[in-house]
Amino acid sequence: MNNEKMKFNIVIVGSGFAGLKAANMLADSSLSVLLVDENIHLGGQLLRNIPSSLGRHTAYRPDYVKRIGFQFIESIEQKKLTIINKAIVIGIYPGKRLLLEVDERQVMTVDFDVLLFATGARERFLPFPGWTLPGVYSTGLCQVLMKSSGVVPAREMVIGGSGLFLLAVAYEALKNGVRLPGILEQSGLFDKIQMIGQLPHQFSKFVEGARFLSRIYLSGVPVHYRTRIVEARGAKELEEVVTARVDRHGQIVPGSEKIYKTNTLAVGYGFVANIELPQLAGCDLEFAGGKGGWVVRVDDRLKTSLPDIYAAGEITGIGGALKSITEGEIAALSILCHFDRGKEETHRSRFKTLTHKRQHHLRFGEYFNTLYRIDERAILSIPDETIVCRCEDVKMGDIKKAVKNGYNTPLSLKVSARVGMGNCQGRTCGVNIYDIVSSLTHTSQEAVGRFSVRPPIKPVSIGALAEHAINR
Amino acid sequence: MKDLRIDKINRQESITIRVNGQEVTAYPGETVLAALVAAGFRGLKQSVAAGETRGAFCGMGVCFECIVTINGKPNQRACMYQVDDNMEIVLA
Repeated sequence: MNNEKMKFNIVIVGSGFAGLKAANMLADSSLSVLLVDENIHLGGQLLRNIPSSLGRHTAYRPDYVKRIGFQFIESIEQKKLTIINKAIVIGIYPGKRLLLEVDERQVMTVDFDVLLFATGARERFLPFPGWTLPGVYSTGLCQVLMKSSGVVPAREMVIGGSGLFLLAVAYEALKNGVRLPGILEQSGLFDKIQMIGQLPHQFSKFVEGARFLSRIYLSGVPVHYRTRIVEARGAKELEEVVTARVDRHGQIVPGSEKIYKTNTLAVGYGFVANIELPQLAGCDLEFAGGKGGWVVRVDDRLKTSLPDIYAAGEITGIGGALKSITEGEIAALSILCHFDRGKEETHRSRFKTLTHKRQHHLRFGEYFNTLYRIDERAILSIPDETIVCRCEDVKMGDIKKAVKNGYNTPLSLKVSARVGMGNCQGRTCGVNIYDIVSSLTHTSQEAVGRFSVRPPIKPVSIGALAEHAINR
Repeated sequence: MKDLRIDKINRQESITIRVNGQEVTAYPGETVLAALVAAGFRGLKQSVAAGETRGAFCGMGVCFECIVTINGKPNQRACMYQVDDNMEIVLA
């Protein structure tokens, strides 16, 4: 690749289930397609496998949904489209143009007719004292380490937080011989039994869940419901984890504390959508608890508020792989119609089927997003000495004080308390900042708003930018 | 000594990287973070304001808590980089 300007009919950002499905379909048309992804491999966060350069896993059996995903990757590699990995979109500009940084070295301009965002989701966390100690890992990190690099985070670890993903990580850890002294789930067991009503909608998901749970129970690992991590302690690294029972509102039951001696803790509290790029592009966003918080506003055809930009997958509502596959297909068909209005009639019945399927997935997502929602009272009970913004070491007490002094928007908090000013640009603390401000000021999330997003959207080397400027 | 690698994987020949000058065994295809974790490195950098020791956290390129110096280039996310033979890694 040299520094010349590139032009594609369609640029797809993100190669998870949604991006892969759309790319596969669009690559079969006569349109030129560019698929970019920030990661080393295609597949996003869910489709992970030991890379062939590392070796072969002798015992990995992907489930039904992942097999579909791996087939997407296999078939896409045979097709005529351009794929760039380790590529970060650092800016989007009027005139349907974006700036791409590739391999941390090279910056290039790409022009497009249509842009499809399929940027997925990241984990969210509920801060507790000591969550910044080395040895406290996200559940996602543990999963990625085991699945993509064949390394376990430790020989023994405690898993805590909220959501089905805790069970997926526990399952993977047990398979690889990791001892689990306990799994701590903040929500209640009874809440989960109600899921059975959702069974007909998402059968494969329940088979998977049942497989996780049976393995966990058979291994004798205690699963504690309505139990929360209160504190992680250690001098330089994690040494022990304090847990406590919580009531229905996430409030700690006094006297129920328990201590685990362990040097490794995996934590996760569900997912939030990666909507920074659509936000930068100027797409309308919406806040919907049932969709997992802030998402990109789309219509039935996955068109955003901007005429040439579409969105698919987790960024339109947290809902899992099957929703993403369905949306990848809807987006691909919509984009085909975008270029050729005559196709509308051809795809009419398929659109109808897919829209119906999508509604099912959204309802399923709504159920889980509501079930695993973090209660306002749990947010407000974060102790004052707890770091909320890890990049700038800003504590809960600092934020409360700033809000009290009138800095009651994310933007003014950024200026006054430095939250969200660091390298991650608020991607880790943002969701908690919005919740804290909303709870403290009794203001809706829409009124609170979000951190602003400006290019470069992730830290970029000045050298690469300068070289790009000189070569133009 | 048994490291943290999963033994159900048929790996290729190992390579050597250096972490703060110390020789560490790694395998092609692993991320820098995986090689560091496997070898027992947990604290990777100092936090900006308080100077606390921090380790990797999100593992997927979001949080920047695993930034290290790789072959002289500072602030590289260990979780987004694959190891190379003779790679030189410096932890702060």
